[in-house]
Amino acid sequence: MTGYIIRRILALIPVLLGVSFLVFLILYLAPGDPALIILGPKANATSLAQLRHDLGLDQPFLIQYLRWLWRVLQGDWGRSIQLKREVLPLILTRFQATAYLTLFSALLAILFGIPAGIISATHQYSLLDRVSMVGILIGFSMPVFWLGILLQIFFSIYLGILPVSGMQSPNQQGFPDLLRHLVLPSMALATGAAVIIARMTRSSMLEVMQQDYIRTARAKGQIERLVIYRHALRNALIPIVTVIGLQVGYLLGGDILVEIVFSWPGIGLLMMNGIMARDFPLVQGAILLVASSYVVINLIVDILYSYLDPRIHYQ
Amino acid sequence: MKLRNWSWLAILVMLGLVVAACSSTAASEGGSTIVVGLQAEPVTLDAQQMSDYNSTRAGRNIFDALLHFKDESTDVEPALAESWDISPDGRVYTFHLRQGVKFHDGTDFNADAVVFSYERQIDPNHPYHDTGEFAYADFTFSMVDKIEKVDDFTVRISLKEPFAPFLANMAMHSATIVSPTAVEKYGRDFSKNPVGTGPFKFVSWTPGVEIVLEKNPDYWGGAPSVDKVIYRPIIDDQARLNELEAGSVDFIVNIPPDDLARLKADTRFTTVEQPGMHTWYVVFNCQKAPFDDVRVRQAVNYAIDRQAIIEGILQNTGTLANSPLPPVLWSYTFDVQSYEFNQEKAKQLLAEAGYPDGLSINFWVPTSGSGMQQPVAMGQAIQADLKKVGVDAKIETFEWGTYLDKTIVEDAQTLPEIFQMSWVGDNGDPDNFLYILLSGDQYPPNGFNLGHCKDDAVDKILREARTTLDQAKRTELYVQAQKMLVEDAFWVPIDHETQIVVMKNSIKNFKLHPTGDFRFRDVLVEP
Repeated sequence: MTGYIIRRILALIPVLLGVSFLVFLILYLAPGDPALIILGPKANATSLAQLRHDLGLDQPFLIQYLRWLWRVLQGDWGRSIQLKREVLPLILTRFQATAYLTLFSALLAILFGIPAGIISATHQYSLLDRVSMVGILIGFSMPVFWLGILLQIFFSIYLGILPVSGMQSPNQQGFPDLLRHLVLPSMALATGAAVIIARMTRSSMLEVMQQDYIRTARAKGQIERLVIYRHALRNALIPIVTVIGLQVGYLLGGDILVEIVFSWPGIGLLMMNGIMARDFPLVQGAILLVASSYVVINLIVDILYSYLDPRIHYQ
Repeated sequence: MKLRNWSWLAILVMLGLVVAACSSTAASEGGSTIVVGLQAEPVTLDAQQMSDYNSTRAGRNIFDALLHFKDESTDVEPALAESWDISPDGRVYTFHLRQGVKFHDGTDFNADAVVFSYERQIDPNHPYHDTGEFAYADFTFSMVDKIEKVDDFTVRISLKEPFAPFLANMAMHSATIVSPTAVEKYGRDFSKNPVGTGPFKFVSWTPGVEIVLEKNPDYWGGAPSVDKVIYRPIIDDQARLNELEAGSVDFIVNIPPDDLARLKADTRFTTVEQPGMHTWYVVFNCQKAPFDDVRVRQAVNYAIDRQAIIEGILQNTGTLANSPLPPVLWSYTFDVQSYEFNQEKAKQLLAEAGYPDGLSINFWVPTSGSGMQQPVAMGQAIQADLKKVGVDAKIETFEWGTYLDKTIVEDAQTLPEIFQMSWVGDNGDPDNFLYILLSGDQYPPNGFNLGHCKDDAVDKILREARTTLDQAKRTELYVQAQKMLVEDAFWVPIDHETQIVVMKNSIKNFKLHPTGDFRFRDVLVEP
C-alpha cells in the first residue's frame, strides 16, 4: 500500500508538468497583453515595452516557460503581475478559504444527501420517496447564485441572524465568526452536491438491496436497521464515495459563482481575475495547486475503496 | 426510527451551527466607523501605482499631493504646497511647501520627499524605480524636463514646453507624495504598507477580506471626525445591496438600477449622485470607407436613439452626451450642433453619401470593461437602430483584455468600421478629453485617438489651448473645438455615467468627487 501511494504521488509530477505547460501555452496564445492591462491605455509605448521586458514577456514562449519552471522548482513561485504580491502565500491563503468552504459544504451534502438517498431507496415509490426526489429535482435545477441571493435575503436581511457575505466580520477573528460566515455559502454549494449524492445513494442502495445477501440477512432475522447500515450501505458506498470525491475535487477548484455572490476570498475568483488580467504567474501557481489537490483527492478515494471493500487491493 | 443515527448527527451539527451563529452577533465598533462595500479588491494602496477605482477609493485618503482638487470640482487648491509661482513663459513652476508636516511613520515632509516621489516614477535609474509599475507616470510627468530641490521647502519643476493642464496633474493620485523612508523599508511591498501624509492612516489589509484605515489625529488640515474606515470587497452588486440592507455595510457603490428607486424612497438610506467625469461613445474608423465620409458619420449620429438607451438599458444612471466632454468639466458648452433622433435625416444623409440602399459594417463590442456600463445590451440597441436606416452592423464581442489589445492599434486597417469605448477623466482638464482622444497628434500607440480621425483646424486649436495659461482664453478655445468636433462627428457620444452611492443616513456631509475618489475627511457619523 505504501509503495502504491508513493508511486501515485510520483505520478503527480508528469501530470503537473503537462497541466502547467498547457495552461502556459493557452495563456500565451490568448490575445491580450499583460503590460497593457497593468499600465492601461494611458501609458506610452516606451513604458509598455519596458514593462514587457521587465516581466520577461518579450522572450520566446519556451524560454518564458522554462524560466518559470526553473524558479518554481527552486521554490520561487513568482509575483502576481496584477496584484503585486508573492504568488505562493497568496494562493495558499485563498486555497485555504476554498478548502474551508469545500469541507463544510461536503459535510452538509453528505449529512443530507446520504440519508435522503437511503430513505428514498428503502421506501421506493412511497410518498417520502417521491417528495425527496422532487426536492432533489428542484435542488438540482436551482442556479446556485440565485439560491445564494435568496439565502442572503432570508437569513441575513429578513431573519438577521447570519452575515450576508465575506469570510470574517470587520475586527473579528476566530472559529465562531468563520462558522457564521460559512453557513450560507455552504448551504448554496451543498445543495447541488447533496442532490448528486442522494441520487447516487438511492440507485446504489436499490441495487444492493436486491442482492441475495440482503435476503439472507433478513432471513436470519437481523433487524432492518442493521440490514440497511451493516449489510447494504457499506456495500453501496463505493459509487457514493466516488461521487463525493469528484464533488470535493471540483469544489476545491473554487466555485466562482458562489465566491462572487458571497465575496468568498477563494481560489476560483482569484484564478478568474488572474485569467482576465493575463496574470501568468498567478494563474499558473493556482492551477498547479488545484490540480495537485485534485490528484490527491482521487488518491484518497482510491485508498478508501480498499478500506470499504477489502477485495480491492493495490500493489 | 430507522435513520436515527444519521438524523441525530445531522440535527446535532445543525443545532451547533445555529448556536454558534446566533451566539456571536456582530460586535459593535468603538468610536465611529464607516464600512464601505467596494466592487472588488483594490489592487494596490500605493497611490502612485493606482489605475482603478477600487484602489483610489480605498487608498487615496492615505496620501496628499502638492495640490488638491476642491470638493465637487476639478479646480485646484493648495495642499502640501502652500503656494506656487509660474514663470511668465509658463515653463517653470516653483512650489512653496507646507512646513511642519510629518508622514504617518514620523518622517518629515520636505522637498526631498517631493523629488523622491516624482523621480521614483519617471527616472528608470532611480534606486526605487523598480518598486512598482506606475501606470500614470507618463500621463502625469511626460512634460516634465527637470525637478529640482531649491531648498528644504521649495521645489522647482521645469517643463519641456508650456503645458496648461500641469497644475491639475499635480493634484492627481499619481502626483501624491510618499514617505521615502517607507519605500526604502518596504520596497515592492510598499503597495501593501502605504505611508503618506493624508487624513487617514493605513492599519491593515487582509486580502479578500478588508482594508482598515484609521484617522490621522495630527492631520495638517485638521483631524477627520470619523475614527475608522473599513473597505470590504463585495463583488456581486446584489450581495452588496443585501449587506447594506442587513446593516453590515454602511456605504455602497454600483447600485443595481432596478433597486435604486426603492432605496431612494427608503428613509434609512441617503443616496448621493453626481454626473461623472465619463463619456461612453462609439468610435468611427475614419481611415476606412464608409466612415471617412462625414455625412455617413453624421447619419449614424442621427440614427441612434440615445435617450432610449439611457432610459431603457441604463435606467437613467447616465445623462445624454451631446459633446465628447462631460458637463462637469469647465468649458463644457450646450451650444453645439445637436443630433436629435431622426432616422429620416439619417437615411437622407446616407443616400447623399452614396448609400441609398444601406450598407454592411462590423461593430466590435467588449463583453464588459472599466467604464463600459452595459456594452452588449447597448451594442444591440445601437445595432437595432442602425438596421432601421439600412445599416447592417455585425456585432463581434471580445473579452476586455483582448478588446483593448485589438482596438489600441497603430494600423487602423485592422479595426472594424465602428467600435465602442469609454473614457474616464483623470485630471479634470478638458485637454484630457479633447486633445488625448480626438487630436490628430494622438493616434495609438502613443495616444488614445482610436478611430484615427483628424481635423487640422481642430488640432491647431487644441494645441494652442494646452499651451495657453489663461483659463478664460482656454475656455474660449475649447468651446470652439467642441463645436467643430461635434460637426466632424468622429464619435457617437452616448452618455455620461452618473456616479451613485447609497449610505446609511447616519452618515452626513459626504460629497462625491468628479474623480471618483471617496473623501471621508469631512464626513460625520451621527450616533
